[in-house]
Amino acid sequence: MISSGKNVLCINLSKQQSEVKSFSDLDPFLGGVGLGAKLLQLYKDDDPVILSVGPLNGYFPFVSKTSVVLQDDDGVEDIYVGGTLSFRIKFSGVDAIVLLGKSKNSCVLNIMDDAVTFESNEINAGTLGLPGKRSVLAFNSNNELFLDDYFKLPQDILEAKMTSKALVGVVVTGTKTFSIKTPDKYNELYKTLLSRISDLSVEKNYSPSCSGCPMGCDRSQIGERAGDLLVHSLVACDYAKRIYGDVGTVFSCLNVLGYDYTHEDIEKLPTLIDTTFKELSS
Amino acid sequence: MGKKTLRVAFPERCVGCELCVMEVQRQLKKVGLDGSLIRILREKSGYTISIDPKVDSMGIEKIKLSCPTLVFSLEEQANDL
Repeated sequence: MISSGKNVLCINLSKQQSEVKSFSDLDPFLGGVGLGAKLLQLYKDDDPVILSVGPLNGYFPFVSKTSVVLQDDDGVEDIYVGGTLSFRIKFSGVDAIVLLGKSKNSCVLNIMDDAVTFESNEINAGTLGLPGKRSVLAFNSNNELFLDDYFKLPQDILEAKMTSKALVGVVVTGTKTFSIKTPDKYNELYKTLLSRISDLSVEKNYSPSCSGCPMGCDRSQIGERAGDLLVHSLVACDYAKRIYGDVGTVFSCLNVLGYDYTHEDIEKLPTLIDTTFKELSS
Repeated sequence: MGKKTLRVAFPERCVGCELCVMEVQRQLKKVGLDGSLIRILREKSGYTISIDPKVDSMGIEKIKLSCPTLVFSLEEQANDL
């Protein structure tokens, strides 16, 4: 198996401290919304915002989104943003970033792999991190939240939460690389999946695209809210549900990367996440 | 015949999907952004594509074909006398 457990970068905004924690018992939640829901449950007293990716982000096409799970006045929200963020989080070497508490002063988080610095709100977030390896999530001069000056999240859910936490920007740089254990099998599966463009529910266009997706569609500019729990645990695009909503395909992808999830583990996942959401709502 | 080199022929077509980066890294049997011989840099008005000349020692035909918007071309270098 590639790894055992989930690595979570916990950032305490109140104390301006951070640490990476390894959770050996969270493998059943896979990643994305599954991992986000469980971490929300574990940290619910600290008003967490969980940014998470899944095991296939960075490896396979159309697995291009980042899950954001948080709690607001309407209950638990799961929303998804496109762009480059999923690759940067994956290549920072963590499965999730958890933002806890509230900063005393407005600040920008500069995350370089698993190292975090708390910058003044006067700094231009676009100057932080490493070009070509960073994602910049920041408010613009009109107080609108953008990822890389283009991608947005649905409605104002994250905007409101970041404002309440006195967070004006988050920059993530990922510099880690990972080797492929079985490159021939991996390459074959990668090409097979990439060829399934006709299974996507978006049309090809020339808009800024998400990392790992050739479509350039104009629908990913504004992310997604809720949707298929398996797809969003990976975290794939909901428009690729015909590919990544299939248990056999997901099993093949995980297997070729060296994970030892079974078909049954994958089939049970939506129920496991539903149960977690219900426990959070009760 | 001269050696072929990878050129950025139509940078304005780049949609920032980074499939070319994935192709370069896959040829090196890894995933990630670090050490890639192609970098995609987000600018206010689009993308800038930075190519390390060492990329020409790789499978550049496959890299060219990995781009969904045909940003790259292969050009022949003149032989040195």
